[in-house]
Amino acid sequence: MKLRRELVEEMIAHAQNNLPNEACGILAGTGGEILAFYPATNAEHSPTRYTIDPQELFRIFREVESKGWEIMGIFHSHPVTEAYPSPTDVRLAFYPEALYFILSLRDPLQPVLRAFWIVDGDVREEPLKIL
Amino acid sequence: MPSVSVYIPTPYRSLTGGRANVVVDAHTVDEVLTKLIELFPELQERIFNPQGDIHEHLNVFVNEEEIRSLQGKSTPLKEGDQVAIIPAMAGGSNLTPEQVERYSRHILLPEVGGKGQEKLLNSKVLIVGAGGLGSPAALYLAAAGVGTLGLVDFDRVDLSNLQRQILHHGHDVGRLKVDSAREALFDINPEVKVVTYPFALSAANALEVIQPYDLVINGCDNFSTRYLLSDACVLLQKPLVDGSIFRFEGQVTVFLPGQGCYRCLYPAPPPPGSVPSCAEAGVLGVLPGLIGVIQATEALKILLDLGSSLAGKLLFVDALTMTFRQFRIARNPSCPACGDNPEIKELRDYGEEYCLGRPGAGEEGARNLPEAFSQASM
Repeated sequence: MKLRRELVEEMIAHAQNNLPNEACGILAGTGGEILAFYPATNAEHSPTRYTIDPQELFRIFREVESKGWEIMGIFHSHPVTEAYPSPTDVRLAFYPEALYFILSLRDPLQPVLRAFWIVDGDVREEPLKIL
Repeated sequence: MPSVSVYIPTPYRSLTGGRANVVVDAHTVDEVLTKLIELFPELQERIFNPQGDIHEHLNVFVNEEEIRSLQGKSTPLKEGDQVAIIPAMAGGSNLTPEQVERYSRHILLPEVGGKGQEKLLNSKVLIVGAGGLGSPAALYLAAAGVGTLGLVDFDRVDLSNLQRQILHHGHDVGRLKVDSAREALFDINPEVKVVTYPFALSAANALEVIQPYDLVINGCDNFSTRYLLSDACVLLQKPLVDGSIFRFEGQVTVFLPGQGCYRCLYPAPPPPGSVPSCAEAGVLGVLPGLIGVIQATEALKILLDLGSSLAGKLLFVDALTMTFRQFRIARNPSCPACGDNPEIKELRDYGEEYCLGRPGAGEEGARNLPEAFSQASM
């Protein structure tokens, strides 16, 4: 999956702004290309859990659909752990057709972004190419 | 009948032939969901859990509002309304380095480990009563890292509580117990989410209060709440860890779904006036500590699926002789609440006939064991 650098920078900034809590958001686009990052509120306000605020989720869904785009990715940060889906992430992965983006801020100077397909409890990494 | 449009989220479209919107005629959200499932039967398990409730991770919107803030499944609909079903986007990270340190003595236990600790952090326990039994139970469960603790208590801290209710301190006298409890729990573990219910449990609110929790600990001080709680846990299929104390004696047992309830053990409350409350009869202050900590132990074991619980057994503690005896108890197939043909299908408030003595400072008392149990000593 290809991703423009400015979108990655938006994700990193959103994650840093939410420290010590986890940050979350949605990536949308069309034709297999991610075009926008929608930062969202973590309704849990927790360093170890996230839930995209349901009202915002609904608003973003509508906005994305009104543009004729589709939801392509679900983003969240791991403030102090590696960029890999936790058992909780896997259990709560209800969107098999979306790519789960995880940004680790474990090393504050070197954020790590990785992406995974999570289907029926199976985790498969999707290589990212930052343009 | 109003015609409404239903928005199908992308993960479910493979079950609706790719359709993003479906129009159905319905008066309520419940009817919409029923009709949707008639059209696309595979949606059944995506929308409802085996108990027939909408999955907790699903948000259902009517126009802009989530139905939990409206009237739930009975939310009425009018012509042209838009219903949207949207699964949550949620998750969580693994244990943080601080958590690894805080819970290291748990994590060292192979039976618990990091996985068990994560399970505790994601668990929700409701404690009914922030008094003698609820205090030690809540403190230990918070320390253990049970992620969400609910506390139900309408009462305020009284000087006579401090002899045993260790959640509360001298400077708390006069405050709501749930408020002083929240503070004490925060001090012991700030990452535990404490949800407070500063009112009495009643037939009208019990199901709603209990529903979000994985397990209930009973630390209440009266028979009406005890029966109400037992009935509610049967209806909602929630494990209940029951405890009671009286003077120098205590009882603990566990009711797991389908394995009996308080009514199997005690079909009816004792006659009014026959059992004095702790406010009348007194209680050794440390006794609720002992019993409440046993309740917390049972709760952790059930959450972690460890060992064997007190389900099917009644633990009887006599502090004067320091004897611990276990009695076998069994589900009663003709129990009005959990039997084969239950009569109790909804909650009702049990009034005077279940109320004994004054409520307040005490717990209503461990009851004398029925004859049948004494014969079945283990």
